[in-house]
Amino acid sequence: MSDYLEKLPGFVDTIKSIQETVITNIVLIGQTPAPTFKEKQRTSIFMERLAEFQVDECTTDGYRNPIGIIKGTSESKPPIFVVAHLDTIFDKDVDHYYSIQENTIMGAGIIDNSVGVGVLASLPEIFRRLGLRFESDIVLAGVIQSLGKGNLRGIRHLLKTWTTPIRGAVCIEGAELGRLNYYADGMIRCEIDCNISPVGGFKHKFKPNAILIINEVINQIMQLRLPQKPRSRVIIGKTSGGFKHGMIAYDASLGLEIQSNSDKMVKSIFNSIKDIVEGTSHEYEVDLKLNTLSNIHAAKLQFNHPLVKSAVNVMKKLDLTPVSGPSESELSIFLSRNIPSITLGITRGENHHQQNARVEIEPIFTGITQIIGVIMAIDNGACDE
Amino acid sequence: MNKSWIDNNTFHYSKFSDLHRLVNEKQRKNLTISLCLPTLNEEKTIAKEILIMKSELMTRYPLIDEIVVVDSGSTDKTREIARGYGADVYEASEIFPHLDKFVGKGENLWKALYITKGDIIVYLDADIKNIHHRFAYALLGPLILYDRIKYVKAFYDRPIAIGKSKIRPTGGGRVTELVVRPLFSLFFPDLTQILQPLSGEYAGYREIFEHIPFPIGYGVETSMILDIYEKWGLDVIAQVDLDRRIHRNRDTKALGRMAFAILQTFIERKIKLGLVDYKEKLYDEMIQFNLVKGEYKPDIYKIVGLERPPIIEIPEYRKKFKRALQKRPHAIAGETDVLG
Repeated sequence: MSDYLEKLPGFVDTIKSIQETVITNIVLIGQTPAPTFKEKQRTSIFMERLAEFQVDECTTDGYRNPIGIIKGTSESKPPIFVVAHLDTIFDKDVDHYYSIQENTIMGAGIIDNSVGVGVLASLPEIFRRLGLRFESDIVLAGVIQSLGKGNLRGIRHLLKTWTTPIRGAVCIEGAELGRLNYYADGMIRCEIDCNISPVGGFKHKFKPNAILIINEVINQIMQLRLPQKPRSRVIIGKTSGGFKHGMIAYDASLGLEIQSNSDKMVKSIFNSIKDIVEGTSHEYEVDLKLNTLSNIHAAKLQFNHPLVKSAVNVMKKLDLTPVSGPSESELSIFLSRNIPSITLGITRGENHHQQNARVEIEPIFTGITQIIGVIMAIDNGACDE
Repeated sequence: MNKSWIDNNTFHYSKFSDLHRLVNEKQRKNLTISLCLPTLNEEKTIAKEILIMKSELMTRYPLIDEIVVVDSGSTDKTREIARGYGADVYEASEIFPHLDKFVGKGENLWKALYITKGDIIVYLDADIKNIHHRFAYALLGPLILYDRIKYVKAFYDRPIAIGKSKIRPTGGGRVTELVVRPLFSLFFPDLTQILQPLSGEYAGYREIFEHIPFPIGYGVETSMILDIYEKWGLDVIAQVDLDRRIHRNRDTKALGRMAFAILQTFIERKIKLGLVDYKEKLYDEMIQFNLVKGEYKPDIYKIVGLERPPIIEIPEYRKKFKRALQKRPHAIAGETDVLG
């Protein structure tokens, strides 16, 4: 088993020797806008690149997730999935053109997830350069509709319609190198919308302000007593509302996530927030709605699962310190289907979800080596117990 | 106007996307190809151009044999970055150091002829934000596949990057439409078929470039077209649609100076060709006014219409390329052998 571990440090330089191809893939794919639900153009580029690198099969599933398959040597071993989400949080009219400096690439969506998708598209060429063949088929999937309201629809559909067993999976994210996610918290992502009719009437003596109503909701959520065990939290992530400085706001909205490693606790907190929303709506006589955007069940591998242990060994061999935490990405869908899987980051970055996001180039080659190490571990049986 | 040219010599880049075919044909014809990027403070875009071209047209498909950056003395990290990503980098002032030193894009293009090795030279501006390898292979396609074509010019939609984050869907090409196209329409109607005569992306055989003079500055694109047209006719020229090109926007004053240089080059060419007889000397200053604290103050830019002679006339060049000049397999019909 340690055979492949010994080879890993030597891979880094070989991968670096084709850095221009890896970076080209990152740039050509990343410069193609792909806001959630509008990933068609990026899907085409991703497919084009996979076809260019001569994967054995290149296709889309029924939901238009682009997939490339590298045939394995064994007829009987189930496939290994390597997955990166294609969509980004940036609209089409945002400048997606990247700037490359001596050791960085900068631009919208570079971290989440152009680096991940570019590396995914480069894997066939990297395997060829390293002379690697696997027993399992390697399924390279760029999944669509992952973020926000996409609610991981792409990966959900892909796995739902994949009829044969899957040996294991690696999910790729741009950053941070060293992350090792092997459990997913239960999560409900929701939006609270407050709308007040701008038309006058007898209903209100004083017109309520939608922003202040949302503020009241936030205050009440802050007063909820959350347990430390099971570990739980409410993240107030987004707000918007109002028209201009001198006018009462007729609408406002709040985006939040409830996260816990217990599905039961997620549901309980959700019900409390629902009560807050209904109470506030009644008390202030305003239209206040709670909409659920996304729902994920808690799932995990144990730390002593062979896949997690192998990943730790791979990372240590490459002088990386594994840092664990929950992940609400494609990982949770794999785990909820009892498919052993982990999420890994490729490089180091900053300004994560901003237009001037930046990643370091040099660590990318170690990040890719780590992905290959884990694929080799799965191919050697780390998920076969 | 000979309208058949635009039908026969205009291509879309997709026609040349079979890179295997281009590489095979290049090898069959025993051609070498150089890519030249003239630069002045292009640290934001230079790395991307080098990386993409190197990956797609050198490592994966051996279409280009060398990437050369000729720099006009950048004060940013252009040269370090370009060198770091594997380009051969030269400072223009170090090439032919005994000649008078000038600064300008045309100067870099001219000097690139001496330090590059290729039978074909591709020139690309270094400020293209949406660089893609089609910018090079599409210019090379007609040169490699059609023996009659010796010079290829790019055209494209030109959205302009405005501010830091928004793209305006149309625009650009103002100097072309307001200066060059009216001039061509008045004096050389055939040339109006060249849709973007000022595009900074073009490729051609060395034997074309070495026989024409190069203005130092902005006039180089206009003069190149006029000289090639005059010397070999329109049929050796082709144009390729590269789809979209995103570049940084220039303000109106900068475009004014560009227009001045182009007019200067154009009129001097007309005089040289004996097509006009201009009795007075042309001025060489572009004067633009600014309102400063309630007072109109002139900004005066001296734009001297200097140009380098055909490089074939430079002894060092003739010495370096002697063998190539003696056994040139791709000679153009009617070309005068300056070596005698």
